[in-house]
Amino acid sequence: MINEQLAQISNLALVVTIVLYVLALIGFGADLASSTQRRSDARLADRDREEQEEARTLQPVAVGAADDGSGVTADAGGARPAAAGADAEGPNGQGAPSQGTMSAQRFAFVLSGAATVLHVLGVLTRALATQRVPWANMYEFATTSTAVVMLAFLVFSIRRTELRALGTFVVGPVLLVLLLAQTFWIVPAAELTPSLQNSHWIYIHIGVAIIATALSILGAVVAAMQLLQARHERALVERTADGEQSPEHWGRLGHVLDRLPSSTVLEALSFRIHSVAFVCWTFTLIFGAIWAREAWGRFWGWDPKEVWTFIIWVIYAAYLHARATGGFRGSRAAGFALAGFVAVVFNYTIVNTVINGLHSYSGL
Amino acid sequence: MSKDRTNDPTSPSSPGSAPAGGSSAESSWSSKPEVDGRRQVGAPALNLRGTLLFLWRQLTSMQTALILLMLLAIAAVPGSLYPQRSVNPALTEQFLAENGRWGKLLDTLGFFEVFSSPWFSAIYLLLFISLIGCIVPRLGVHLKQLRARPPRTPSRLTRFTGYTRIELAAAREGGSGAQQIDAQQIDDEQIIERARRSLRRSRYRTEVREEAGGRSVSAERGLLRETGNLAFHIALVGVLICIAGGQLTSYRGQITVIEGDGFANSLTQYDSFESGAWFDETSMPDFRFTLEDFRATYVKPGEAGTVGEPRSFEADVQVNTPGEDQVDKTIQVNKPLHVQGASMYLLGNGYAPEVTVKDPEGKVVAEGPVITVPMGDTGYTSQLVIKAPDARPKQTAVVGFFLPTGTIDEKGPHSLYPDAVDPQLALTVHQGDLGLDSGIPQNAYEVDLTSLTPVTGEDGNPVLIRLYPGQEYKLPDGTSVSFDGLRRYAAFDVAHNPFEHWILLSALVAVGGLVLSLFVPRRRVWVRVRTTADGTVLEVAGLARSDDPALEDDVRALASSLAEAQDGTPSAHETDPERPARNADHSSEGSAQ
Repeated sequence: MINEQLAQISNLALVVTIVLYVLALIGFGADLASSTQRRSDARLADRDREEQEEARTLQPVAVGAADDGSGVTADAGGARPAAAGADAEGPNGQGAPSQGTMSAQRFAFVLSGAATVLHVLGVLTRALATQRVPWANMYEFATTSTAVVMLAFLVFSIRRTELRALGTFVVGPVLLVLLLAQTFWIVPAAELTPSLQNSHWIYIHIGVAIIATALSILGAVVAAMQLLQARHERALVERTADGEQSPEHWGRLGHVLDRLPSSTVLEALSFRIHSVAFVCWTFTLIFGAIWAREAWGRFWGWDPKEVWTFIIWVIYAAYLHARATGGFRGSRAAGFALAGFVAVVFNYTIVNTVINGLHSYSGL
Repeated sequence: MSKDRTNDPTSPSSPGSAPAGGSSAESSWSSKPEVDGRRQVGAPALNLRGTLLFLWRQLTSMQTALILLMLLAIAAVPGSLYPQRSVNPALTEQFLAENGRWGKLLDTLGFFEVFSSPWFSAIYLLLFISLIGCIVPRLGVHLKQLRARPPRTPSRLTRFTGYTRIELAAAREGGSGAQQIDAQQIDDEQIIERARRSLRRSRYRTEVREEAGGRSVSAERGLLRETGNLAFHIALVGVLICIAGGQLTSYRGQITVIEGDGFANSLTQYDSFESGAWFDETSMPDFRFTLEDFRATYVKPGEAGTVGEPRSFEADVQVNTPGEDQVDKTIQVNKPLHVQGASMYLLGNGYAPEVTVKDPEGKVVAEGPVITVPMGDTGYTSQLVIKAPDARPKQTAVVGFFLPTGTIDEKGPHSLYPDAVDPQLALTVHQGDLGLDSGIPQNAYEVDLTSLTPVTGEDGNPVLIRLYPGQEYKLPDGTSVSFDGLRRYAAFDVAHNPFEHWILLSALVAVGGLVLSLFVPRRRVWVRVRTTADGTVLEVAGLARSDDPALEDDVRALASSLAEAQDGTPSAHETDPERPARNADHSSEGSAQ
């Protein structure tokens, strides 16, 4: 029944996927590392432009000198056309360092796209090899849900290019989960145990749970960046108020944050992701209850997995309420969202491997 | 509600902050009468009524709800970390035995019955009271709002989202003064009527109003958002009530049936049974069945997967329900048997070897299949206990193991594989007083060996009997044990909860309401046509009252479609002095804090 050849292809595809994600991560990292460079380039260009304008308006006599100066600036501006724009516009269009070469970010984005395609292929071949859904144990759940995370990230950022700067913070966790899956959770392709057979709820209940988990991961990334960004912005505002011309805060991290969308944009995005995630978690609970009633004769029995999914649901509900409560909006609400994510991680790792319950499908 | 007051763009104080305020406050999950999170604490007088009112306000406040939600989440945690009596009583007892005083303390505090403990109950009951206290007033407000007309068009639209101003070229040339005004008015009416129809098509509630120098249409959409929000919360109360109803009226029982045997649904037939306080025994459906065959398959050596892991369990049953024909059914995991008023689930299985025990006088003191209890290993090593109180001269107990694929090595007797490939029994025989006359109820699958003496052989060691099917063993004292055959048994749960369907229905209503309350944008749109000295001017603007990033585009699309319909050409006169600023605003819109 198990097609061993396909199962091996699936394993190989996922290993290559990991390698590609590593390269993509290096690309995204290099892009972020160049933030400081880009920032100072942009400021230089700005200063040059200002000087040039000053020279033009105030010193019409010194034509020759001004000409020299403008020649230099034109050069610099030409070499990095996007840099100056980026400073004003934020992270948009972090263009090529020079015409014809790929920027690190574009390279990383294309590479993570390719890796995601291979990732999805790896998941699909696993499904074909076993003739069933690719989410019957912890390893398969991890590989499938990370594929969903990557797909969601690509869908979000294919049009909103400013979100690509989040690449490091998405590919990083995905890579971490995949490495854990590949080293600790991997089990050979096998058929379903009886408790997972004969039920269409395995498609529905676990399918929704995978989407919910993937959205929780993405939401947590965005919420964490929102928190950092909000603190960063507050600090910058304070320093500007203190009279600093071009305020700096948190050094290199600050330069990276300068390129990310503002905390309000991130907050809106985080809310949108979390509200869909909350609906998915609600469905996970309801479908799980229906299945539990068919399989175990009761819709709810306080099995550890049930308890923790309930906890996740309650915390995300608290997040949505916090967002509407005076004094909790913004950063504090984001804290609730991150607490929800901690519960998701606990539910997936500790509950699966340490706590004994009816949902013992990790295969470990 | 105060929130409406603060966000109402028609109120003179707010237009400046309206777009931001509108989106943040209306993103709310609830429209509590809280504006900035601070409440007037201590305002009521110190009489009883005032104090109660104060407490009630505190309880129904959003902060309290938040705290209760987080407490609920935290309180549920120990329910997953400590064994729960309702889930696994044996494990709970083991934990108590291993942890002495610490275990006792936890037990007193309810850590082994978290979900029925006073503190857990207190949290969720307070939460639901707070919820009801919150939604009842909102329900009244919302019902009023559903009947109300869209609010008046604000006099200055410039500060609102997507504000677009278009000077209409039409109907301005020539003619006498009276005619011109006439044409102008028809013009107004046409545009406003067109706008109204277009908005109606997009499911806005509209209201056309005459104004000084023109007329306007005020449109509102998204009341479903609050409807959904209220439905969600009310349905949650419904879920809780239905669960309570189910607790009171449901029942659940465990039975064990050996192949060839039957079961009739009555209380006496159950191994164990629990039911709610209002459960009515006469409501149990009168059905009976015979277990014809039980099959199990396991991963064989050489197949993919872990050897010995189960692959399928199937129980063939013949079911008889009064007034209906006998039917053959196969019950599997995930495929329970549903009869009117009850469901039966296949939850366990094991072996029932047929064993005959004769006492030294040659009298048969035990005969037939014996249910053995699997010990939890993959090989299905199963414990066997036979009590023969009628044996003479002494009462006899036969204890040991049934091994589907047996071996005896340094680990003792155990089974290598769960299927009955090489079935055998490994037994010892004990004699003495079984203690059955003491009146204390005993577990049929256990026996206390301390008061019994094992039958020993010539070397003085207990005799270990190893039996294959068809074999008989005679002990030195004349007792004989024979292994006559092998059957399997299946364990079923029979359960019924009359409220199940209502719980599901409430949950689905809740999730439907949730989707509406999260994703239906609530917004207002205004279209105004005014004739000034310069000509006829069309103004369109909107106000988001929830996260609503599409509003600006929708408003502009409406404006240009109205302008196009009016003069047949794309509006060349569009002026939008604030557009760049608006755009910048818009990027942070949706959740402006």
